[in-house]
Amino acid sequence: MCARCLELSRRSLLVGGGIGVAALATGTAQARIRPADMVPLIGPGFRPTDKDEQGLWKEMERAEEEIAGSNLLIQDPELTGYLKNIIGTVGGPAARDFRIYLAHIPDFNAMMFPSGFAVVFTGLLLRMRNEAQLAGVIAHESGHFLRRHQIRSWRDQRRKSDIFAIGAMMAGVGGAGAGVYLGDYVQLAQLGTLLSLFQYSREMEAEADAMGARLIADAGYAPVEMANIWEQLIGEEEASARYRRKRRRRGGLFDTHPSEGSRMVDLRADAAEVTVPGRAYNACRERYLTTIGSIRPMLLDDQVKLNDPGASQYLIETLARDGWNGLLRFYEGEVWRLRNRHGDDLRAAQSYAAAVVYPDAPADAFRWHGISLMKEGRGPEAKAAFARYLTMKPDAPDAAWVRQMMG
Amino acid sequence: MRKVRLALALTLGAALSGCVETRQYADVQFTPPQGDYKLLVLRPDVTVGSITTGGMVEPRADWTDQARAGIVAALRAQQAERGGHVQIIEHRNELAGVTPDELADVERLNAAVDESIVIHKYLGDYLPTKRGRGLDWTVGDGAIQLGRKTGYDYALFLHAEDQVASTGRVVLGVLGAAGCIVGFCAPNIGGATQLDYASLVDLKTGEVVWFNVVRAGSQVPGIKFGDLRTPQGAAQMVERLLGRMKPGLAIRRAQAAH
Repeated sequence: MCARCLELSRRSLLVGGGIGVAALATGTAQARIRPADMVPLIGPGFRPTDKDEQGLWKEMERAEEEIAGSNLLIQDPELTGYLKNIIGTVGGPAARDFRIYLAHIPDFNAMMFPSGFAVVFTGLLLRMRNEAQLAGVIAHESGHFLRRHQIRSWRDQRRKSDIFAIGAMMAGVGGAGAGVYLGDYVQLAQLGTLLSLFQYSREMEAEADAMGARLIADAGYAPVEMANIWEQLIGEEEASARYRRKRRRRGGLFDTHPSEGSRMVDLRADAAEVTVPGRAYNACRERYLTTIGSIRPMLLDDQVKLNDPGASQYLIETLARDGWNGLLRFYEGEVWRLRNRHGDDLRAAQSYAAAVVYPDAPADAFRWHGISLMKEGRGPEAKAAFARYLTMKPDAPDAAWVRQMMG
Repeated sequence: MRKVRLALALTLGAALSGCVETRQYADVQFTPPQGDYKLLVLRPDVTVGSITTGGMVEPRADWTDQARAGIVAALRAQQAERGGHVQIIEHRNELAGVTPDELADVERLNAAVDESIVIHKYLGDYLPTKRGRGLDWTVGDGAIQLGRKTGYDYALFLHAEDQVASTGRVVLGVLGAAGCIVGFCAPNIGGATQLDYASLVDLKTGEVVWFNVVRAGSQVPGIKFGDLRTPQGAAQMVERLLGRMKPGLAIRRAQAAH
């Protein structure tokens, strides 16, 4: 008899649990956090005083020594000084305490470590179209530190795992004592704990977005640029997925970050909220492009070699919305050439031909333009392109081969 | 009554399943350094944390500092007894004549080599090409250059991590053990664990000449196998890890033949 009622309650439990999970799933689109509510929780020169936070900082000492000495870092003083300036402008009360490193990794990412040092990937510099966008990402990362997210989420995890461990043990011992099997409850509780951890993480990201919007607007950057970043990222991921005949991944229960779409929508609302009527906001595109100019060929080169033509093409076209130039046209050609589908050789040839018209065309554009012309049987024109290549790059490693091609 | 006896047996069994385990490997030609040798200890990597009730490891800065000081003191005492001159550096810029970058290169390469030793000597992925050849790994030219520039004979890399069960974790373990009486037995939820390893590199040849791993742990929270936070515990760890360096196979055979 009792077995029967237990059976019933177990079923009702699972049904109830299912509804609960579904409710949580719809709850992924949580209420927007208002920038006005985002006050920094720490002041300048913050040092941890609690034991757990001191422990976390201690671990970070060695991590920072390792990262600061990594050979993946780009040490160009102009670029690192530029990043340092930006974090010094949008870093709020901790502006002077932050350290920022630039890592040569072709991915869209930046991160803040618990003790106040940030790492920016070069892939981010490729994607940002102006200084306001870069400042937005850096301000978001500063927001994590200013709102003490690392230690807060660590404590949240510790608290939830403690409660779960005690609950599971109690259920086991208590259930065994009473002769009832409570394993289903324990499993459900485990799922609940896990989901609430991810939920908490998404909430922190939403906080950092709101804090970031506030910080860049205070510094005079156009706050709407933060929302534009997500629009671009969604476009890039869709293009990348479309090429591979897949669908772009949407937000789910196990995401640590809110979905890009919801971030974009919230950031647009944030931007409207933090904008002061009558105040001038800048995107600072010129200064951004001048500063990253020296490494832009490298950034594009890294990207086209990722074998992700959908994303690369989208990125180049997005950057070209601010105007085509020789560099972008050359790398457009490289995307086609490396993709190498039917007809791509012609597309690549057109891009190279377009590239060499611009005054900033790189030497390699002339090399590939020459090879394309050669294939079309236009020898004399090819020869001229090769000659130009050799003048621009006299000690090219393939100079001998190019001379031989010139006949 | 029978239930209680069973519970006791299980608890005891679980307690005994925790243990101290060490396994060392040496180059076939290795003779433990003795007499007038110069040893460089590169940034001993020590962390001590607390296991929370839920099983997470919370790093503790104060305990880590205590443990590091204890280990450094014990290491100095031990090496002085053997006649060695030892320098222990904490940061990469502390070594005269070598840039932090050069030192970082040697350290990183050594870390990769150590990882490979652990995979192929300890984790069961044995290499037939290295069978019967003792410890056959080298850190190469970088290590030789380091020796030439600094005048040291050996470099020692040391890693020690200790996790101490918090009161909450011990209580949870006691609860799990108590549950054995009613038939839900979970005393072995995992307690204090210590993992230490060290590698010795001959700076004249660049070869890793000796490697040792010590694992100490208990499945039952509340039972300790040496606590790095105390000077005694740190000295015990240094002794377990570096105390009994065995000579290489060829040397031992030669000694046995005499």
